[in-house]
Amino acid sequence: MTLKSSIARATAKTTYWFLRNILHRGGTSLPGKLAVSIDPDILKTIQQDFDLIIVTGTNGKTLTTALITRVLESGGYQVITNPSGSNMIQGITGTLVTTKVKTSPNGKKPLAVLEVDEANVEKITAAIQPKMFVLTNIFRDQMDRYGEIYTTYDKIVTGIKNAPESLVLANGDSPIFMRGDFTNPRRYFGFNHVSPANYQPDVAPINTDGILSPTDNSVLHYDFITYANLGQYFSTTDKFSRPKLNYQVTSIDDLTPRYSTFSIDNTPLRIEIGGLYNIYNALAAFSVGREFGVAPEQIKKAFESNAQIFGRQEAINVDGKDVIIVLIKNPVGTNSVIDMMLSEKDEFSLLALLNANYADGIDTSWIWDAEFEKLHDTNIQAVATGGERYKDLQVRLKMAGFTEQAVYEDLSKVVTAIKSLPTKKVYIAATYTAMLQLREQLSTKGYIKGGF
Amino acid sequence: MANYDISVAHLYGNLMNTYGDYGNIIALTYYAKQIGVSVDYHLVSLGDEFDAIAYDFVLFGGGQDYEETIVANDLKSKTNQLHDYIENDGALLAICGGFQLLGKYMIMADGTKVDGIGVMDHYTTNMYDDKLTTLTGERLTGNIVIKNNETDETYHGFENHQGRTFLGESERSLGTVISGNGNNGMDKTEGVIYRNVYGSYFHGPIFTRNGNLAKRVLITILNKKYPTIDWHSMLEAVETETF
Ligand SMILES: [Zn+2]
Repeated sequence: MTLKSSIARATAKTTYWFLRNILHRGGTSLPGKLAVSIDPDILKTIQQDFDLIIVTGTNGKTLTTALITRVLESGGYQVITNPSGSNMIQGITGTLVTTKVKTSPNGKKPLAVLEVDEANVEKITAAIQPKMFVLTNIFRDQMDRYGEIYTTYDKIVTGIKNAPESLVLANGDSPIFMRGDFTNPRRYFGFNHVSPANYQPDVAPINTDGILSPTDNSVLHYDFITYANLGQYFSTTDKFSRPKLNYQVTSIDDLTPRYSTFSIDNTPLRIEIGGLYNIYNALAAFSVGREFGVAPEQIKKAFESNAQIFGRQEAINVDGKDVIIVLIKNPVGTNSVIDMMLSEKDEFSLLALLNANYADGIDTSWIWDAEFEKLHDTNIQAVATGGERYKDLQVRLKMAGFTEQAVYEDLSKVVTAIKSLPTKKVYIAATYTAMLQLREQLSTKGYIKGGF
Repeated sequence: MANYDISVAHLYGNLMNTYGDYGNIIALTYYAKQIGVSVDYHLVSLGDEFDAIAYDFVLFGGGQDYEETIVANDLKSKTNQLHDYIENDGALLAICGGFQLLGKYMIMADGTKVDGIGVMDHYTTNMYDDKLTTLTGERLTGNIVIKNNETDETYHGFENHQGRTFLGESERSLGTVISGNGNNGMDKTEGVIYRNVYGSYFHGPIFTRNGNLAKRVLITILNKKYPTIDWHSMLEAVETETF
C-alpha cells in the first residue's frame, strides 16, 4: 500500500467514524469521496484484499445481495457488503475503504458482494476486476430518469467488457441477457418447474418490454412465462431459445403472501417472503453459493436462519387491523404485488397511494401499464386511494372497474383510512415518497417505532 | 346490453407501449361501455396485415428507440392500407413515436435518420438540430397544458421526448401550448389534427386524463359507423374524467 492510499484510507475511516458516532449518520458516500480525492487509485490498491462479486439489474438487487452475503457466510466466507441504497461509486468506495477485511473462516479469500447501480458498473470495473457479475433482470424503471432498457443494458455491458475474464452469471429467463458482444464465460439460472405436457405456448402480455429475439428482432414466444418477459422463450423464425440452465427452480410448492416453498436443483427450500419474483432472488443467491462451493444444505440453512433479511415487506398492527405495506414503483413490480395478492387466502382491502416526486418518478403514466384489472380475481373487498396524485390512481382503479372508492388526498388521515376499511387485513401499496409520508404518520401516531 | 361494437387496432401494441399508451384503450372502452358499445381489441404487429376497412379506431403508441427502428421498417408494408384508412376518415390516435412515424421522417437522438411512412406531412428532428432556437440538447420533459382553440377544450398531460416535430401545411395542432413545451418548444403547437387523426406527445395517457377528448373521438368513431344514432347526447350523460 502506498503512502497516498494509506492516507486516503485513514481519512475515509476517520470520516466514517465521525459521521457514525458523532453525527449518527451512516453514510459511506462522503468517506468514499474523500478517499478518492486523496488517492484516485484507491480502489485499485485495495482490490487485492478480496474477490469481488457485482450484483446489478433493475429489481431485487438489494435482497439478492443480502441473500448472497448470507449464503456465502454460511459457507465459511468472510464477506464485505454495501448497505442498501449505497450502490453508486462513491458509496461503494466508502464501504470498501472503511471496512476491515478479516480472513475467511474457511481459509479462502474474503469476498466483497456489492449491489451496484446499473450505470455505475463501468466505474467499478475500471478499477477492480470482479470475479463474477450477477445479472438479475432489466425492466423499465422510471424512464424519465433512467432511460430505456437496451441503453441500461449497454451500460452494464460496457462495465462487463472492462473485465473479460469474469464470469457472468445471469438470469437465463430474461432474453435481454442473451445480448451483448462480450466474450466472458456465461452461466445461467432460471425456472424449469413446468413439465413439457403442461407448457402453455404464449407471447408476453402487450405491456411487456424486451420481447424481441436478439438474433432477428422477431417477437419471442414462450413455453411458459413466470412473470413479465421472463420464462422459457424461443424464436419461431430460427433456432434461438433460452440457454441451457446451470441452476434451476425444479418445483414451486406453495406460494403465499408471507412465504414461498420451492425446490432448486431438487433441494427443497423456503423463504419468508411472498412473491414469485423473490424466488428469482433466492435462485440467484443459490447459484452464486454453488459457484463458490457452498453446499445446498448450507444454503438452505442460510435462507431459513436469516428470516429477518426478508423484512422489507412490513407487517404492522393498527388497532386490530393487520396492515401489510408494499412498495410500488413500476409496472412490473406492481404486477408482482398484484400476483402476490392473488395468493392471499383471506379477504382484504387495498389502500393505494401515489406520489410523483423525483424519487417516485415524476411521470405517473406507468400506472396504466400495471394490470389492476386482475385484482377482481383476488379476495379484495374494498379499494381506497390516496397520495398527492390520488386522482390519477382513483381514475385508474375506477376504469379498472372499482367504481366505489374512498379517497384520501391528505395522508394525515391515513389511520382513519385504515380503520374505515371493512376487512381485518389491509394492504397498503405506496410509491416511495408516499411510503415515507405514511411511515411518518404511523410513527407519529405510535404504530411504528423510531425513524422512518 | 351492448348492441353496438367497435373494432380497435393496437398498432404494434406489443412494441410501442412505453408510457401507458394502452390506457387510451382502457379509457375509450370505459366510456363506450357506459353507452352500450363494446370494444373488440386487435393487436396488429410485426408481419401482420393491416386491413384498412377492418377497424373503427387505431392506436399507435410510442416506444423505445430500439423498438421504433424495427417498427419503422415493418411499417412500410402497411403504408398503403394506413393511407387509405386515414384518407377514408378513419379515427386514429398516435402518441410520440407513433405520431412521428406517420410523418415524413424522424431523426433519432443518435442522429440516425429513420423514414416515416409519409401519410402525413410533419417531420421530426432531434434535440441537437441547428435550427432549434431554444432548449437545444435537452429532453422536453414535464407537465403540459394545451388549449384546443376550435373546441375550447383544455388538455392536461405529461410530455417526455427528445424529438422536435414540425407540422406540415395540411395539418393543425391538437392545441396551443399554455404551459410546457409541445411539439418543438418553439412554435407553441402541441400534437396534430389531420382529418380524424389525432397525434400528440402526451403521456398520462391522453384519453384517461382528458375525457373530453376521449368522448370527442368516440363520437367521431360511432357517428361514422352508426350514423343514425344520437351518440352525442348519450355520451353527454356520462361523467367526464379530467384531471
Ligand atoms: Zn414518448
